[in-house]
Amino acid sequence: MSPDPLDLSLRGQAAAVAAGEADPAELLDAALARIEQRNPAINAVVEIFPERSSEMAAGAPDGPLRGVPVVIKDEWPLPWRAQRFGAAEMITPSAPGESGPYLALRAAGATIVGVGNMHELGSGSTGAISCYGPARNPWDTERCPGGSSSGPAAAVSARLVAGAVGADGVGSIRYPAAYCGLTGLKPTFGRSAMAGHHMADVSTTIVSGPLCADAADCRLLGSVLFGEELAGGDAAGLRIGIVRDTVTDDVAPAVRDACEAAITALREETGGEIVEVELADLEAAALATVLIANTEGLSGLSPARLNSLSPELSPIGRGLLKYRMLLPAAASVKAHAVRTLMRRRLAAAMEGIDVLAWPTVPAVAPPLAAPLVELPSGTLSADQANVRGAALANLTGVPAINVPVGFADGLPIGLQLQAAWGRDELLLDAAEALERANGRRWVEALPPLAQAATETTEA
Amino acid sequence: MEASNRAADFIPAGLASFGIEADEVELAVIGAAHAIFWPPILALLELDTSAVPAERAPDLSRPPLPL
Repeated sequence: MSPDPLDLSLRGQAAAVAAGEADPAELLDAALARIEQRNPAINAVVEIFPERSSEMAAGAPDGPLRGVPVVIKDEWPLPWRAQRFGAAEMITPSAPGESGPYLALRAAGATIVGVGNMHELGSGSTGAISCYGPARNPWDTERCPGGSSSGPAAAVSARLVAGAVGADGVGSIRYPAAYCGLTGLKPTFGRSAMAGHHMADVSTTIVSGPLCADAADCRLLGSVLFGEELAGGDAAGLRIGIVRDTVTDDVAPAVRDACEAAITALREETGGEIVEVELADLEAAALATVLIANTEGLSGLSPARLNSLSPELSPIGRGLLKYRMLLPAAASVKAHAVRTLMRRRLAAAMEGIDVLAWPTVPAVAPPLAAPLVELPSGTLSADQANVRGAALANLTGVPAINVPVGFADGLPIGLQLQAAWGRDELLLDAAEALERANGRRWVEALPPLAQAATETTEA
Repeated sequence: MEASNRAADFIPAGLASFGIEADEVELAVIGAAHAIFWPPILALLELDTSAVPAERAPDLSRPPLPL
């Protein structure tokens, strides 16, 4: 029996359509059926629009994703739908429109089949809070899917679709990729489609990016979002930088072991070397990133505005918005000085290495009911712990990718690779090398929710 | 005078100075956030970055310009 085309990889689905072996309308119907069947357990897709999707499928140009269903995060406007940002109320007005990712997907021939859930206002790494109710992790529906791109990640992990578009301002593609066992690319700042985002004119941290099962699919969807082909290479002789810091030391033992094994495997696969590098003040860099990301949108806030927030916003969301007003201006200025410092340090470090590797998040997905993680230093909120490893790429602008590298207690573990500015292609090459090194077993693993389906098939 | 990280001092005064209202749950959230962020903010303010040449309007898509 031939596999359900929806179980093919993203590139496999594209190839099947191009070869006339699959039909865009049939793929759309299959995706809608999947959503109907599996989504109630994970709340990944919060809105579908079959008529609009059918129009996209029927009128799809002959692009690299012709007829392939994808999900887009609730952070991007569509011509028929304003983004809600996972919130009952946004601080900045939103309206329907042709966002950059929408235009890129449409030009590529993709079919947007639904909107993905997200953490309220993009301000959390867990996905535990949303105006739609939280998305759930397909590997364990009582666990956090990661945020803020929670729905896109859960949708791909459960194989509702093979690719989804997220956004990453402080780790928001990489956290859910790690928690859900996916490959997620945070592009170099400014390299991927960003037009139409409500923060596009003010944010210096947010980028759009792909969430897929593996690096080859991220290369395809990433090429669409970048508007240029992300050419493949071989990552031969890869110089892998590691640091000794809280990002590598204050990590759950199973995560640390899996990441160290993956780094060793990557070195062996590429015939490369492991280089210990000095990169001081990562904690300060994480705080600087949070300060910058949380103050860039402050022009939309005023005391009067804060006193009229919707009671439908979560108390955490309301409280954090109000707290932003109390952050000292001197700290924001200092944060920019730290950005300069870390950009220079990272540039110097990158002269001796090709990628920098450390765990994407320090522990596997925590329970939705209590998003806390147990680390050698004690119990921390997942948000507090996760930002340590993710922030540097947003602060400095460099690309970063999460690669699945193992499991602990049935939950995925992710390794983060970061490269120098503009070397997104190298990250994909390195991720593919790592997949080869471990026999692709982590990128082909399916959560229980998706195991009824046939396995993802390579193109 | 030592810096205080006592949310009981800072938060109500800060909110009141802006005329921002907050209910008990919001105050608890703000207090929790303050407990997490304030100590590292104080540490950040003490970090010596004077030796770092300013990078005016950095292009985050590229490495910093050579010194």
